[in-house]
Amino acid sequence: MTLVPVTYKGGIHQHDIIIGLIEDLGGYIIQKHLIAQEVVLQAFVPREDIEQIARIAKPLFGEINEAPLVGTEIAIVSMSLEIHHLPHPSCDFAEYARRIGAKTNMVSPARGPGKRISAINDEERDVINEHDIAVYAFGNFEACIEHKWPAMRRGIEVPVIVMGGPEEETLRRIISPPADDYVGNVGRFMRRTKEAEEIGKLDEIVAKVARVLEKRRGEIAKDPLSVSPARLMEIIMEQVPAIHDVTSPTPLTVQMAGLRVKLPYDTFAPVLRDLGIESGVRLGDIVDVLPSRMRDYILVRIRPFSETNTVI
Amino acid sequence: MQSIEYFQVECPEPTGGEYYRQITNDVLLDHNLLKVFHKLHVFIDPKIPIFVATGILNKITTLVRVGDFANINPQEGKMTLVIANETYLAPMLKIFWERFGSDHVEQPDRFTVILYDVKESPQEIEEIVVGDPSISLGKDLIYVFRLIAPEGFRVRQEIHNNGRFTFVAGEDTLPDDIGDLVGEKFALMGETP
Repeated sequence: MTLVPVTYKGGIHQHDIIIGLIEDLGGYIIQKHLIAQEVVLQAFVPREDIEQIARIAKPLFGEINEAPLVGTEIAIVSMSLEIHHLPHPSCDFAEYARRIGAKTNMVSPARGPGKRISAINDEERDVINEHDIAVYAFGNFEACIEHKWPAMRRGIEVPVIVMGGPEEETLRRIISPPADDYVGNVGRFMRRTKEAEEIGKLDEIVAKVARVLEKRRGEIAKDPLSVSPARLMEIIMEQVPAIHDVTSPTPLTVQMAGLRVKLPYDTFAPVLRDLGIESGVRLGDIVDVLPSRMRDYILVRIRPFSETNTVI
Repeated sequence: MQSIEYFQVECPEPTGGEYYRQITNDVLLDHNLLKVFHKLHVFIDPKIPIFVATGILNKITTLVRVGDFANINPQEGKMTLVIANETYLAPMLKIFWERFGSDHVEQPDRFTVILYDVKESPQEIEEIVVGDPSISLGKDLIYVFRLIAPEGFRVRQEIHNNGRFTFVAGEDTLPDDIGDLVGEKFALMGETP
């Protein structure tokens, strides 16, 4: 059974039928948004059951679409959080990616701006590495991007997509070591992306992010995880009542090969390690429970089958 | 763009230059400062790196007086000022307090100020100067060019006098001969340095 990420959009009326259906089919609800009279679900469902859900959703005026960004956490690396780079273009993309299911975080190096002076420190590097993918939002000048790229890239282990003002071919030529993909003509600008051409650029970025993530999913499939992150989320929701008291919009953030648990590490790391899953398997046997560099959260990295010899 | 006679962005990287032309235009429009410029030349070289903006400003000679934004109704022993625009209300009250004393000035609501027992005639009150837009203009221009210039360019020099504006910014200490470069940019606009 292959679980695929989807979003469901429909009216609030009888939406619990869809939730029940997804759970009965062996899928998992990652996030549920209630916006006025509309409900948006982000979920993992078995690929072969999508048609069935669509059929049942039709009388409820609901629609289900595959959404490759659901269940991923993306770092938007903006060179600063000043008005020079925010809210356009960094927030524009972050918000756009959120609309189609991704969880995006804005990461900005304390000394990101500039050419010679730009640098990244160990904390910023580690925070970026906690994500599934990083999208670097650079400025308009190829001379600056070329100069600062090696410093900004140092120590980053997750796939990186570069967006910047110069043409895509120019970015490919000047960026060394290479990034995983490039989006040209999206540098620094000071107005909202609302023209069709600009929205098209955002779609292009999403498509490239999705392509890189699909590739990563393919790699994970070759050596499957010991437990699916969505399943792990459900286990924690059931067995750790404290998670229901967290006021964050996503107390548990699902990643491709792990989970960010927004509970204090010192108190809850032993609790998580001791969680019983099934047939005598404890959570600590199949995952690494690590302190996150983001506040005092917990980062759960799921070990692959080849290491644990267990799949749940 | 019609009010500007000359507007050029010069940059060794044509694509980057075009983006900065757009940024300059957007930021000046957002802050309602495009009409201030008669001529504007922006030079950016990311390789040095340096950012130079030189401009000739349109003349702003008007001083803001009380009569420009307030109607004065003289009554027996008092004058009632009805304020149409609050922008200069605070500096006006400050001037009134200093000149007449706070006992003689009352503000019963947001748009009304009453002066009690003042010797001046309503015409003289109307002529009191409360603001000089050209003073804040310099600060506004520095603010917008800080937004326009690339963010890492934190070593700055600004000159604003005699209707001319110069903003220079770089990452490193500015070179001693920066005046020559600024002069060249004024010459490109057809102005003597």
